[in-house]
Amino acid sequence: MVYHPRQNWNPDPRKRIYTRRDFISRAGALGIAIPLMPSLLAACADREQDAAADLAIGTPAAPVQQPLFEDNQAIASGLEPEAGPLRVYNWADYINPEIIPVAEEALGVDIEVTTFFNEEEAISKMSSGEVSFDVWFPTSQRIPVAVTGSLIQPLNLDYIPNLATYVWPSLADPYYDLGSRYSVPYVVYSTGIGWRTDMVDSADIEGQANPYDVFWNEKYKGTMGLLDSFTDTIPMALFRNGVKDPSRATEEELQAAGDALIELIDLMGVRYTIDGAYVGIPEGRFGLHMAWSGDLINSQYYWPEGSDISVTRYNWPGNSPGSTVNGMISNDTMTVPKNAERPVLAHNFINFMLDEANSLENFGWLGYQPPQVGLDTDTLVADEWVPDFLAPAIVGPDDFAGDSVWVQGPLDPATEKAWSDQWNRATSGG
Amino acid sequence: MPTNLQGGEYDVVGQKRFVWPSFALPGVLWLVALFLVPFYAIFAVAMGQPDPVFNRPQPEWNPFYWDTAVFAEVVGDLFGGQLGVIALRTVGYVFIASLLCVLIGYPVAYFVSRKTGRWRWLWLLLILAPFWINYLMRMMSWVNLLSPDGQVNQFLAAVGVANLPDWLSGYHFVVILGLVYGYIPFFILPLFAALDRIDEATLEASRDLGAGSFSTFWRVTLPLSKNGVLGGLVIIMLPMFGDYYTPTLLSGSPRTRMLGNTIDQFINQTTSQGAVGAALTIVLMVFVAGLMLYYLRTINQATREARE
Repeated sequence: MVYHPRQNWNPDPRKRIYTRRDFISRAGALGIAIPLMPSLLAACADREQDAAADLAIGTPAAPVQQPLFEDNQAIASGLEPEAGPLRVYNWADYINPEIIPVAEEALGVDIEVTTFFNEEEAISKMSSGEVSFDVWFPTSQRIPVAVTGSLIQPLNLDYIPNLATYVWPSLADPYYDLGSRYSVPYVVYSTGIGWRTDMVDSADIEGQANPYDVFWNEKYKGTMGLLDSFTDTIPMALFRNGVKDPSRATEEELQAAGDALIELIDLMGVRYTIDGAYVGIPEGRFGLHMAWSGDLINSQYYWPEGSDISVTRYNWPGNSPGSTVNGMISNDTMTVPKNAERPVLAHNFINFMLDEANSLENFGWLGYQPPQVGLDTDTLVADEWVPDFLAPAIVGPDDFAGDSVWVQGPLDPATEKAWSDQWNRATSGG
Repeated sequence: MPTNLQGGEYDVVGQKRFVWPSFALPGVLWLVALFLVPFYAIFAVAMGQPDPVFNRPQPEWNPFYWDTAVFAEVVGDLFGGQLGVIALRTVGYVFIASLLCVLIGYPVAYFVSRKTGRWRWLWLLLILAPFWINYLMRMMSWVNLLSPDGQVNQFLAAVGVANLPDWLSGYHFVVILGLVYGYIPFFILPLFAALDRIDEATLEASRDLGAGSFSTFWRVTLPLSKNGVLGGLVIIMLPMFGDYYTPTLLSGSPRTRMLGNTIDQFINQTTSQGAVGAALTIVLMVFVAGLMLYYLRTINQATREARE
C-alpha cells in the first residue's frame, strides 16, 4: 500500500508525528526553559519542517498516472443513483444557467450550484472537510494536489461512457491524469493576445517571430493591458524573453522578466485587469490586452449595440505561424470530491455534461470550449458558434502537443515566492 | 447618595453592582468572537508555515513555534523595499483624500445643520442617498463617466477640447477622486450630528460678547465640532487604508497600486504566500491602531474638559 502523505501530516500540531528534535524543543518549552524565552524562541524557529508531499505532476512530454490509495476507492459499477439534490461546486459564472434545468430533468433531481471566487478559496474549504459537494470543477494543474491531499475520489468510468465517445482522445487520457483516474476534462483554453484591428495593426502580431513583443510596442502606449494574474503574466514575460519552460526559469531569467514588466509602466502605461479583454476591448478602454481564448469569444456580447465586432482578433503564440516563442494552454476538469454524498449521481451528471449536444449548449453561453471530437474549428465556425475572425481562439487537440506549448503545473512554494516577488516588483509602480 | 424612582436608596455594594456592567457582556463577547479571535488567527497565519500537501498557509496557534521570518521580511521590505513604495503611496492617497473630504464635507455639513431650515429633511435625504447604493456600483458609474468615450470626454469634446485624456489609465488624482467620492457621505453624517448638537445659545453668547461671524466660527463652532471631524475622519480613513477595488476599477495601473491590492494579491492569488499577506495586514492594523489611539485620546480629553 502506498503511504498516504496526509497520514503523516495533521493541521493540529498535537496530532502530528514529531521528530526527536521537535520533542526536545517541546519539552524545553514546557518545563525547563521558561526564563530563557528568547533563546528558546530562536531554537524553535528552526524546528524541522514536515517533508513536502510528492506530487505526480505530468506534462504532455512526460505524462503521469495519479496514484490510487486503499482508503480512497472508486464506487462500484451498476449502482442506483442517490436521491437529490446534487451539489455542484464551480467557478462563478462558469456553467450555463440554462443547462441546469435540462440536467435536472435528465437526472430527475434538483441541482444546487455553489460557486467559488478562486481556487485558493475552493481548496481551503474542501480541505477543511467541512463542506461536502458532489461535483467539483478544478483546473487540471490542481489534480495532483487534490489526489495527494485526498480531496477527490477515483472515477468509475463505467458511468461515464461519453468520455470515450465524445472527448478528444488526448484529453480522455490526459497527461496530468493518465486513464482519467480522477478527472474528466471540462473546457480548454489558451492564453494569448486579444486586440481590435481599428486600434492595433494586426501585422505587428500575426506572422511575427515574437508576437508578445507587441506588448512592448510604443505605438500602443496607453491602450494596452495585461492579465492581473501573476501565474499567467510572469510566464508570458518569460516566453517573450525566449524562455521555453517557465517552471525551470533561472533567477536571472526571472529577474529579466520582472525588469521587462517594470519597463512597461513608463513605456506603455500598462494596466493590469481581469476583464480588460472581454469588457475593456469592446468598450474601447483597451486596444490590446493579454487574454484567455474564451475571453475573446465572450467579448462579442459586450459590444455596444450597432458596433462592428468584426474588428476583434485573437492570437496564440503557441501555434501562430512564424512564431518562435512558446504559448500557454490549459484545461479545467470535473471531479467527484472524496466526501461526496451522492457519488453515483455525480458520475451521471459528469456524463451528461460530456454529451455533445449538452456541452455545445453550455459552450454557447460560457464561451470556453469543451474538448469535443465533433466540435472542431470548421464546424464551430460553420455553425456560427464562433465568428470566422475569431477562429484562432478555438483550441484544437494538436495544440496540447509539440515543443511550442507549455502547460502549467502546480508551483512549489519556492517557485511561487520567486514569481510572486517579481510580480510585486513589476506591479508596485516604483 | 443617589436615589431610585421609588425614592429608596440604591444598594451600591450589593447585587446591583454587577447589573449595569453585565450590559457590556454582549459587546464583549462580540468583540472577542469577531475581533480578538480572528486577529489572533491572522497573527498565527503570519507566524506559521505552509502545509506540505496543499502549500497553503497554516495558522501556528502555539506561540512557541512562531516563525518570525516572514514578518521580518515584510517589515524590512516596508522600509526601503517595494512594499515601502506602495505603503507611502497608500498613506499619501488616504491623507490627501481625507483632507479633501474635510474641505468639501465641512461646509456641506455646516450648511445642512445651520442654514437649511424647513428643507433640512430633503438635504439629509440627499446626503443619505449614496448609502442606498453599493460602493462598487458607484465606482462602476465613474468607470462609465470617465471611459475614453464616456460622458466626461463627450462633454469636453463638445466644448472643443482636443487631445482627450484616458482618465482611467492610471492617474493619481482619479483614484483620489474615487476615494473622496466613495467615502465623503460617511464623513458628512457624523460631522452633521456634531454640528447639530452645538447649542444655539453658545453661538448667541459669542455674538453678544462681540465676536464677528468668522470669529464665532473659529473660536466656538470649530472647536466644538472637532470631535465630529475626528470621528468622521476615523470612519473614512480606516476603510480607505484597506481599499483595493477603487484603484482596481479606476486605474489598474501599477502606478496607483495600494496596500490593499498587495494584500489581496498575497491572500487571493498565491497558494503559499498567504503568510506574507497576513503579516502585511497586521502591520497595517498596527499603523491604523496608532491613528485610532490618537483619536481616542483626543475624545477622552474633550470629555474630561467638558465635565470640568
